[in-house]
Amino acid sequence: MITLTINGLEVSVEKGTTLLETANFYGFPIPTLCHMEGLTPYGACRLCVVEIGEGPNARLVTSCTYPAQEGLKVRTASSRVVKARRMILELLLASCPQSKTIQDLAAAHEIRQQRFRQEYEDCILCGLCVRMCEEQMAAKAIGFRGRGQNRSIGTPFDIKSEECRLCGGCIYICPACQLRCTYTDPEKAICGGCANLAPPCLEIDKFDNMMCYMEPCVACEIVRAPRDKGGK
Amino acid sequence: MKKLTSVQELFDFRQRVLSEKDIEYDKPTLVICAGTGGQASGANDVIRVIKRYILERSLQERIAIRITGCQGFCEMDPFILVQPGRQLYPKLRMEDIPLVIDSAVNGYVAESLIYKDPRVNKRYHNQKDIPFFKKQTRTILGCNENLDPIRILNYIELDGYAAAEKVLSNPDSEWIIDEVQKSGIRGRGGAGFPTGKKWEFAHASGRDNEQKYIICNADEGDPGAYMDRSLLEGNPHAILEGMLIAGVAIGATRGIVYVRSEYPLAIKHTLIAIRQARDLGLLGENILNTGIDFDIEIFRGAGAFVCGEETALIKSIENLMGEPRQRPPYPIEKGLWGHPTCINNVETLANIPVIINKGGKEYAKVGVPGNTGTKIFSLVGKIKNTGLVEVPLGTKISEVVYDIGGGPVGSAKIKAVQTGGPSGGCIPAEKFDLSIDYDSLTEAGSIMGSGGMIVMDENTCMVDVAKYFMNFLKDESCGKCFTCRKGTQRMYEILDDISKGKATLEHLDLLEELALVVKDTTMCGLGQSASNPVLSTLRYFRKEFERHVVDKRCDAFVCKDLVGAPCQSACPVGTEAWRYVAHIARGEYEEAYQTIREANPFPSVCARVCHHPCEEKCRAGTSGGDPIAIRALKRFITDRIEPSSYKPKRDVWTDGEPPKVAIIGSGPAGLTTAHYLSLKGYKITIFETENKPGGMLYCAIPSYRLPKEVIDKEINSLLDENITLKCNTALGRDITVDGLFNDGYKAVFLALGAHKSKPLRLENENVEGVFPSIQFLKSCNIKNQQLARGKVGVIGGGNSAIDAARMAIRQKDVESVTILYRRTREEMPAFSEEIEAAAQEGIKIVTLVTPARVIASNGHLSGLECIKNELGDIDSSGRRRPVPIQGTEYTVELNTLIVAIGEDTGIDAIAPARMSRIETTRWNTVKVNPRTLLTNRPGVFAGGDVVRGPNTVIEAIADGKKAAGMIDRYIRNEQLDGPSETCIPRIYVEPSIAEEEITSGKRIETQRAPAEWRKRNFAEVEVSLSIDEATCEAKRCLRCDLEFTQPKVEIDEHVTTGVKVQ
Repeated sequence: MITLTINGLEVSVEKGTTLLETANFYGFPIPTLCHMEGLTPYGACRLCVVEIGEGPNARLVTSCTYPAQEGLKVRTASSRVVKARRMILELLLASCPQSKTIQDLAAAHEIRQQRFRQEYEDCILCGLCVRMCEEQMAAKAIGFRGRGQNRSIGTPFDIKSEECRLCGGCIYICPACQLRCTYTDPEKAICGGCANLAPPCLEIDKFDNMMCYMEPCVACEIVRAPRDKGGK
Repeated sequence: MKKLTSVQELFDFRQRVLSEKDIEYDKPTLVICAGTGGQASGANDVIRVIKRYILERSLQERIAIRITGCQGFCEMDPFILVQPGRQLYPKLRMEDIPLVIDSAVNGYVAESLIYKDPRVNKRYHNQKDIPFFKKQTRTILGCNENLDPIRILNYIELDGYAAAEKVLSNPDSEWIIDEVQKSGIRGRGGAGFPTGKKWEFAHASGRDNEQKYIICNADEGDPGAYMDRSLLEGNPHAILEGMLIAGVAIGATRGIVYVRSEYPLAIKHTLIAIRQARDLGLLGENILNTGIDFDIEIFRGAGAFVCGEETALIKSIENLMGEPRQRPPYPIEKGLWGHPTCINNVETLANIPVIINKGGKEYAKVGVPGNTGTKIFSLVGKIKNTGLVEVPLGTKISEVVYDIGGGPVGSAKIKAVQTGGPSGGCIPAEKFDLSIDYDSLTEAGSIMGSGGMIVMDENTCMVDVAKYFMNFLKDESCGKCFTCRKGTQRMYEILDDISKGKATLEHLDLLEELALVVKDTTMCGLGQSASNPVLSTLRYFRKEFERHVVDKRCDAFVCKDLVGAPCQSACPVGTEAWRYVAHIARGEYEEAYQTIREANPFPSVCARVCHHPCEEKCRAGTSGGDPIAIRALKRFITDRIEPSSYKPKRDVWTDGEPPKVAIIGSGPAGLTTAHYLSLKGYKITIFETENKPGGMLYCAIPSYRLPKEVIDKEINSLLDENITLKCNTALGRDITVDGLFNDGYKAVFLALGAHKSKPLRLENENVEGVFPSIQFLKSCNIKNQQLARGKVGVIGGGNSAIDAARMAIRQKDVESVTILYRRTREEMPAFSEEIEAAAQEGIKIVTLVTPARVIASNGHLSGLECIKNELGDIDSSGRRRPVPIQGTEYTVELNTLIVAIGEDTGIDAIAPARMSRIETTRWNTVKVNPRTLLTNRPGVFAGGDVVRGPNTVIEAIADGKKAAGMIDRYIRNEQLDGPSETCIPRIYVEPSIAEEEITSGKRIETQRAPAEWRKRNFAEVEVSLSIDEATCEAKRCLRCDLEFTQPKVEIDEHVTTGVKVQ
């Protein structure tokens, strides 16, 4: 067991526990975006940073990846941490304002506006879909490509994947609520169920009570409605 | 070469090579620098020419050649160093080479080609005396000139592999690591982590017999840094030896050199070196039968700056994407393929053999405590001696920049030094006495980094520097961390906006806030130091940022969207010089005059006496040619067009009686204010002390430069019914500020000028025959007196000294005129054309001399005691301070002495200002808000020399224009200060089609009357240009304005011929 201090409270955890898990266990709230229980932590979004150490050597680290160490002093909401979180949220809003997850996080920190030039991207490169595909679904159909501004997520060379089983896990987990593949050409897209209004579920005719994971995609309702009117 | 099979065999082999060394090198050797830099400068051609020459003349027995890697003196490439005499022949052309070879073979020095320091005009026969080399301690880099990198025997002749032998004969990690720790060496890659400690951890980590790796990080990604490249190209065996020793010390059996693919020569040389070392038996399995395995392979980078970071580098070797990962666990515990890995920089490893040979304690004697040893820096940028420099840590920055680097290239002063590449920061010139070591630099806001040192001068824009580095970093960021990826992008965006005049002061605060968060929250070194360029430039050069944001100006003339056409931006009144030059080229002289007059109410005056800041910044000049003769072209126009042809728009005051404004002083500032206020409908009264208007124009500028008729004509065109001129009225004596307000004036503008000369403060200064320059000039100009007699001396080097000298030589009782200046001729602040003209008229100019004492007899001047100066250390202005040489006093016989060392506003002018409760500064100038020209008293404004101290005509006119605007707003109760606009060309003037090609790119020479003729009178000296000359000169203009004003051309795709102009 490892003993450390978190926000002044002395706690003990098992070896291998991360600071995030420790904080969650003891009820200290830390916002996250690219973290999902069950997937390996990645440390991309930087929202979960906490302050460790003391004096001039104090620094911010991502709590989702940092393992608990004996005697560590952790602060989850010092002014330095809060300043960092607020700026990160501003940057997130500046890039991807249409995501409900990001909006909720911003509102929780009382941020209502951002000071940068507004962009409307649909991917924040958090890597959840990549990890979902690789670790949970064991398919590894998509991954990161490129560096810096040109970094993106997709299949190798943008070729339609043969590994992809159209499970939709990537869509389910995405906090930006947008799919990585936003091709309008159904042939190129992995599952084809994104930017067009035709329902992705091709077999909707055959199944009445089909469970749709594509919430809030209402494409089938739009398509179904006229049919309903005319009777089945 | 036979493979060696024991340590004893290695020892014998080395001894044999060392003993044979002297026999081979009894003949002179031509050493040619053929690193990448040398090859780019033509070293390969030099080598070819040399070889051919030697073969043709069968000189093989009498001379040898050695081709080396980079020797560091890159500015002088291609050069030949002749051993053993160490003569250095720099910047050779192919035709010079035979002379060099001949001199080497026959043992003399080729004086015409030997290295010469241009600053002091001195030739250096021995390389070690050259200032560039003298202050360096070239422990590591110095070896490069003594060996051919692809000959292992050369390396052994320099005691190569002696350290390896020592280590292999006693392969015990403890003493090796102990020596390294005693040496105190810190990682030369940038972080400065003590190498001894790193090796200790590496040695202790891992399970027994676990595979360990030593990696040499040669992924030198910093722009401008090439030290590691030069070491790998020039002396690869040193690094291999270092790695071998490291391997033994930490227990690693595999070494990898990770070198970036952009270094093909380094890769080639390292591969050859590895092969040679293997052949000799120094690398591989069971080295020298000691049971130790160690082999080295090369891994090439793939073009990512981020792979210089150790965890990303490891990922790259593992064939994964080069992304850093969180540490802990550190590579020492879990590195390449999960095994303990020690990563060291190229330079660190090159130091290891030196440490083992000398011993750690001996090594630690160089440098300062905590920062031992030497470091190689790449000194680049606006510096005379660009190249690689090796100095002990603790050397001051000023020593490196001025003594070794040779100071600035060109006349602009050095402003800052950027250390550490894109992860580093800028150190401003005020802090150049900082010692170069890891801790001082970090404290100053920068880092040592890998050793790049980029020198910046006044023509470098710090906003542009920050933008450049941010552009680099945003492209090179791996993109994993959200804050690094988006943070660098957004910081670049904001810097781009600032450089285009689209930002506000809030953006500066946002930039700083964002930079701090990026620094705090990113995972790897790239992100953590990405903010350094921004934070350090904001810390030391915030004024420049504010100037970009608030005034929308770039004073270094770099940010294109703020500069527009440099001639217009440089002009204090914003004259569209490009526009009237374009009109002249098109033959449209009326339009040219309108353009000039719109901005400047004194075109004829300025056409003669302006110091033309526009020409200093003209792109035709700054890009290597001659600037356009803008002032001469202005003179051309003003000589042809009457001032009355310009009819400005006049407003009429509609709201009752027009308010009254009082202007005190009728110099250029006062008259300009009066004119512009009159155009707005105000009633002006100008109060002038002298009996005629004109201020300094009338009093001080000699008539051979500015004829009185020209001044009168121009002033008369400005005076109109709204303006009343009251001469012979002085502030304090005849009128007071309070009195003016009581008389109903709504505002007062003080434009009193600077009419007092600075005294020398010497003994006997007040005797007869000694005149302050202003008094002398006024006596000539106003009272038509001729006060100079016999032998005349003039002390000073500015325009008023030259004016006084040229006035004196025209006076009939004068025998000779000598100017005495304390610095050198190049440093004289007067216009160079004036100094030239003075010399033509026979005026002697004596430089580097300071007056010590005035000698008088019978209350009258008889002579001046002077002392000679020499140039001493660099002072804060970047110039060498004149230092009197003891014992060189001498006396000059003089009948008249004119003191022209500068002007002051003078107590007479300032006292009444102070009595009117107007705040003044300690330099006896009136204090104003620089943005509004308002003094501390409401309604009282001031401008011109009385605020700035002695300055130029155009600046006074600019103040006048600004003051008129401010007074207008004040009287209307509007806010004085407002947002600025960018000063860019907005009006399109179609370029004239040249009928014939203009073949000569040379600037037109303005004609002057012959010197002998002009000495005898005060008539105007300069002659106007002819129509042909003017048109030719105007057509040389590069039309920098068209970029901003040219209408977009739309190419009609359906029409195959011609283009449609929108």
